[in-house]
Amino acid sequence: MSTISATTVENEKSSFFSVAALQKVVAFAVLLLLVAFFSLASPVFFSWLNAVNIMTATAVNAVLGIACTLVIISAGIDLSVGTLMTFCAIITGILSINWGLPLWIGIPGALLTGALVGAFSGSLIAYLKIPPFIVTLGFMRALYGLNVVVTSAKPIYFDDKPDYAFISPDSTISLLIPGLGIPNAVFVMILVAIFAAIILNRTILGRFIYALGSNEEAVRLSGVNVNLWKVGIYALSGMICGIAGLLLSSRLGSAQPAIGMGYELDAIAATVIGGTSLTGGRGTILGTIIGAFIISILSNGLTVLSVADEWKYVATGAILVTAVYVDMRLRNRS
Amino acid sequence: MKKLIAAAALLGAATALSATAHADSPYYAIIAKGFDHQFWQAVKKGAEDQAKADGVTITFEGPKTEAEIDKQIDILNADFAKKPVGLGFAALDTKAETKALQQYADAKIPIVAFDSGVANDLPVTTCTTDNEAAAAEAAKQLAKAIGDEGEVADEIHDQTSATGLGRRKGFEEEIAKHPKIKLVDTRFANADAKAADDIKAILTAHPNLKGIFASNEGAANGLAIAKKETGSKVIGIGFDSGKKQKDAINSGLLAGAITQNPVGIGQCAVSSLTKVLKGEKLPKTIDTGFYYYTKDNMNDPKIAAVLYD
Amino acid sequence: MAKKPPQKKTTGAKKAKPAPKAMAKPAMAPLSAAMPHPAPMVATPTTTKPVVVEMRGIDKSFPGVHALKSVRLDLHAGEVLALMGENGAGKSTMMKILTGVYQPDAGEILVDGKPVTVPNPRAAQELGISIIHQELNLMNHLSAAQNIFIGREPRRGFGIFTDNAALNAKTREVFKRMKVDIPPDVEVGELTVAKQQLVEIAKALSFDSKVLVMDEPTSALNEKEVEHLFAVIEDLKRHGVAIIYITHKMDEVKRIADRITVMRDGQYIDTVSAATTSMAKIISLMVGRELVDSTREEGRGNGEEVLRVTGLNSGKHIKNVSFSLNKGEILGFAGLMGAGRTEVARAIFGADPIDSGEIYIHGKKSRIKSPADAVRNGLAYLSEDRKRFGIVTRMSVRDNITLPSWGRYLTARLWMNDRALNKDAHEYVGRLKVKTPHVHQESRLLSGGNQQKVVIAKWLLRDCDILFFDEPTRGIDVGAKAEIYKLLQNLAAQGKAIVVISSELPEVIRLSHRIVVMCEGRVTGELDGKDATQESIMHLATLRQANAA
Repeated sequence: MSTISATTVENEKSSFFSVAALQKVVAFAVLLLLVAFFSLASPVFFSWLNAVNIMTATAVNAVLGIACTLVIISAGIDLSVGTLMTFCAIITGILSINWGLPLWIGIPGALLTGALVGAFSGSLIAYLKIPPFIVTLGFMRALYGLNVVVTSAKPIYFDDKPDYAFISPDSTISLLIPGLGIPNAVFVMILVAIFAAIILNRTILGRFIYALGSNEEAVRLSGVNVNLWKVGIYALSGMICGIAGLLLSSRLGSAQPAIGMGYELDAIAATVIGGTSLTGGRGTILGTIIGAFIISILSNGLTVLSVADEWKYVATGAILVTAVYVDMRLRNRS
Repeated sequence: MKKLIAAAALLGAATALSATAHADSPYYAIIAKGFDHQFWQAVKKGAEDQAKADGVTITFEGPKTEAEIDKQIDILNADFAKKPVGLGFAALDTKAETKALQQYADAKIPIVAFDSGVANDLPVTTCTTDNEAAAAEAAKQLAKAIGDEGEVADEIHDQTSATGLGRRKGFEEEIAKHPKIKLVDTRFANADAKAADDIKAILTAHPNLKGIFASNEGAANGLAIAKKETGSKVIGIGFDSGKKQKDAINSGLLAGAITQNPVGIGQCAVSSLTKVLKGEKLPKTIDTGFYYYTKDNMNDPKIAAVLYD
Repeated sequence: MAKKPPQKKTTGAKKAKPAPKAMAKPAMAPLSAAMPHPAPMVATPTTTKPVVVEMRGIDKSFPGVHALKSVRLDLHAGEVLALMGENGAGKSTMMKILTGVYQPDAGEILVDGKPVTVPNPRAAQELGISIIHQELNLMNHLSAAQNIFIGREPRRGFGIFTDNAALNAKTREVFKRMKVDIPPDVEVGELTVAKQQLVEIAKALSFDSKVLVMDEPTSALNEKEVEHLFAVIEDLKRHGVAIIYITHKMDEVKRIADRITVMRDGQYIDTVSAATTSMAKIISLMVGRELVDSTREEGRGNGEEVLRVTGLNSGKHIKNVSFSLNKGEILGFAGLMGAGRTEVARAIFGADPIDSGEIYIHGKKSRIKSPADAVRNGLAYLSEDRKRFGIVTRMSVRDNITLPSWGRYLTARLWMNDRALNKDAHEYVGRLKVKTPHVHQESRLLSGGNQQKVVIAKWLLRDCDILFFDEPTRGIDVGAKAEIYKLLQNLAAQGKAIVVISSELPEVIRLSHRIVVMCEGRVTGELDGKDATQESIMHLATLRQANAA
C-alpha cells in the first residue's frame, strides 16, 4: 500500500478545518448579506435599538432550534418542541401560581417536565422503534390538547410573581451599563447555546449524538447501549424546550395554552439553515443560532421596509432552500 | 396535576356523555372560531348560561386557531351527524363553508350566525358586533388622542376573516377622513409574541409614529409588550378585553380598547335559535353592541359586565 | 505439513474481488473504445447451434484489483452454460459487463456475430439480454402483470389510462408460454420466492430475450420448486433461449447444464462438457492445481477453551450449530455464500435474536441479548460490510478506535478526556501500523486495509479477546491482505481467540488451525487446518441435506 499521499493530507486539512466550519461560513455570509442589504435599503434598520429588537425576537426560536439541533444531529427529528415548550411553561404556572410554590421550584419544574416528556418520547423511539417523526408528531398534538385541558383554555398569569420577569424581559445588564437595553432573554439564549455546545463537544453524550447520527448500526455493533443514549438525547432536548417555555411565558407574563404549534417549523428551519444535516451526523449550535438570526432579521428587515407580510414567508422559504442547496454543493465539492 | 388526572377521566367519559346528553332536551350545535383567545371563553359562557335558561343542550366547539378553516368544516360535518335541532355558527370563511352549511339548510335545521356574518341568506339571523362601526370608533378615539395629526399604523389579527377585514376597513376608512393623519403601515399577527416583534419593527421603521390600533386581544397584548420593551410613547388602542389587555389599559400602556359584548353574543346565538324554533320572526342582524373603554370607565357596571379575563 | 511443491506465492492473496454489490457508483475509468482484442479462437466442445453471444478478451480493473484478465465466453442458442468458480473468481463482474452495469477496460462483445457496446442495462435489454439477480428486483405492492410490463403498460383513452384488461391478457399469454399458473393480478409480495422468480423470468421473456442470465436462481427454493424451475428452463431451451447459469451447486450443474465455463482469479480457465466431466475434475478446475502456500504458524492454540456454542438455532439460516474455540486459536469458517456463517457470528454477538442454543464463555454459560452484552463478555465482531457496520466513516480515526471504550475516558462521568483519547488512539495507530497522518483524520479517507486496522484497534482497546472476523480482507488490496494475515496470526499468538469467516478458501486454509464448514445453515464438517484442502472444503460446503443422508 502506498503511504499517505499529498492529496490525502490536503483532504485532511479541508476536513478538519473547513467542512465543519464551511456550513457556518455559508450561513454567516447570508447573515451579513442580509444585514448589509437592509442597512442600505433602510436608514433606520441599522441601529442599536433595532438590534436589540432582533435579538429579543430571536431568543425563543434559537433555544428551540438548539433543542432540535441536538436531536437532528443524532438523525432524529422533534416536531413536539413547540407544544412541549408551552406545556413546560404551563407546569411552571401551575406550580408557582395555582399552587403558590416559590419560583425556585416552579422554574426547575419546567426543565424537569421537559426532560421527562423528552425521555418518554425518546423511550418510544428507542425501545418500541416507532419512527421519531411519528412519535413527536403525536406528542405535538397530544401536548396541545393537554395544554388546553389542564388550563381550561385560560392563560395562567404570572402577576403574583413579578420576579418571573427576570428570566426574559428584565435587563440586568442595563443596571450595569445603562442604555444597553439587552433583555435577559438574550443572555439566557447565549447560556443555553454555550451549554449545548459544551455538551456536544466535550461530553460523552455529545460524542454519541454525532456517532448515532453518522451510523447508528455501527455504534450498536460496537457494543454501545444505543437505546439508553437516545432516551438521553430526547430528554436533553426536552429540557431545553422547557427553557424556551420559561423565556416565552416570562416575556408574555403568562403561560398561553394555545401558543406553540408552528414554532417547531421555525426551529427546524433555523437548524437547517444553520447547516445541520437532516440525515444526521453533522451540525453545530453556532450554525443554528445564526440560522435563527437569519430568520428574525429577515422578518424584522422586511417589516422595516414595509414589505407586505406575506412576502416574509416567501423570503424565508427561499432562503431556506437556497442555504441548504449552497451548503450541499459546497460539501459535494470538498 | 389533579387537573391532568381529571382531564384524562373526562376524556374517557366524554364520548358516553355526549351520546346520551341530548336524548331528552333539544340539542344545539354551537361552533366557534377557535379557542386561542379569552374572547371565546366569554362567548361560551354566554351560550352556556342561555342554554341553561332555555333548557336546551349545547356543544360548544371550534378549531384550535382562527386560521383552520378546514378544521371548522370538519366540525360542521361531524356535528351534522349528531342531528342537532339548531346550529349556531361563527364562520371563519363564509364562502369556503357554504357547502357544509347547505346540508343544515336542506335538513331544515335553522342556522344562527354569530360573531361574524355569513355571506349568504342561509342564517335566519346574525348576532354580531358591527365590526366596521366598532373599528371606526377606535379610529375616532385614536385621532382624538394624538391631536388629530401624525402617522398611525394598524396591527390586524387576520388577513382573511370577516372580523379582520371589517375592523381594518372601519379603522382605515375613518382615518382617511382625517386629512392630517397618515396611515403608514398595516401588519398582520394574531399571537402575542409575534405581534410584539412586528410592532417593534414598525416602531423602528417609523420613529415618528403617533398611534397604533391593534385589532384583537393577541395583537393588543403584543402592542403592550412592544411598548414596554421599547419604552415607546406611541399611543395604542386595542380591541376586545382579556386580563393582559385590561392590565395594560390600567397601567397606561394602552389608552383604551373597544370591547364587544361576547357574553351577549353567546346568549344571542342560543336564544335566537330557541326563538326561531318557537316560530318567532327575527331581524336579519342583531347588533350585540360595543363600547370604548378606558381605565376611567372600566369599572362601570355596564362595561365591567362585558369585559372578561 | 503435507508434501507440497515449493509453490509460487499465495494464489489466494491475489484473488480478484468483484466490487461489492452495494457499490454506489462504479468508480472506474471511462472505457476507451473497445480495442479489437486478438483473442484466440475458443476451443470448446462444439455444439451445432449458432453462437448468440461471444465475449472476447474482456479485461476489467477496479482500484487496487485486477478483476478480469482477458476473459472469454461463448454462448449458443438453446443451451444452458454454467458459469462456475469460487467467490471472487469474477463471474459476477463478467455478467455485469454483459448486462451493461460495468464497462470493460478492454475486449469486445458480439451478439449474433456483430460487435456491440452495452453502455447500460437498458441497452442490454434491447439486445435481448436479461439478468435475473439473486436478490429479486420486484415491486412487492404491484401485481405480477404490473411488474412485468412496468413502463410499458398498454394504454387506452388517449394514452392516459393503463388498460388493465389488455395488461392482464398479455401477462397471461407470457405465463402460458412458460406453462406456469400465476394469476396476473396477484400482488407479487404475496407470492412465494419461487413464483416471484418466475415473474422475473416472465418479465425477461416479455422483452423477447434470447439470452437469460440466472444468478444462483435456486438459492432460496425448495426441492419441488427447483424441479419446476428446471422444467421451465428446459422449455426455454426448446424455444431457443440461451441461458447462462451461475451456481455453486454441483448436482444442479450436472442436471441442467450443457457446458460449463470455469473461472478462477479473474481468469478464464476452461470450458467443458457437463455430461462427460466428473465433479472432482470440475472442482479441481475451480480451485486450481496449485495448492496454497501455508505460512501458518505451527501448533494450534492449545490453550483453554474460551468459547463453546451448542445447538444454536435461528430462523432458517442457523440450524443446530455447535463448535468450540480455544485461546490462541484461529478457527476458520468456510462455506458458500448464504451458508449461514455471518448469521452465526451475528447471533452469537447478540446482533440478531436466536431461537435456541447455549453459549459458554470461559466455561460460563452466558446470556447475550445485545451487542452490549457480547462486548462486556469480551466478544467482538468485525463485519464483512465495514462501511455500514464496522466503522463510522464520518468520525475520526481516534473516535472510531475509542468508541466502544468511551465510557472509560470520563471525568465526573460526563466529560470526555480528549488528551487520554488522543494518547490511546495514537498508541494503537502505532501498534497496528495504521497509515494515517494523525488520529484526527476522518476515517472515510483511509484505505480499506487501514480502516480494517482501525476496527481491529477498537476491539483490542476494548480488551476483547474473542474476535469474529467476517471476511477480514474483503475490499482490501493485495499488499494489505498479507499484513492483515500477519496481524491475525500475531493476535492469536498473543492469546486472543479468533474466528475467521471467509469465502476465499486459500485464506481460510492459510490462516486456520481448524476449519468449520457450513452448508445451508448446518455445520457439515470440521477439518484440521493441516489436512484441509480446497477440495475437501468444497466437498463439505456443497453437502446439501438431501445428499448428506
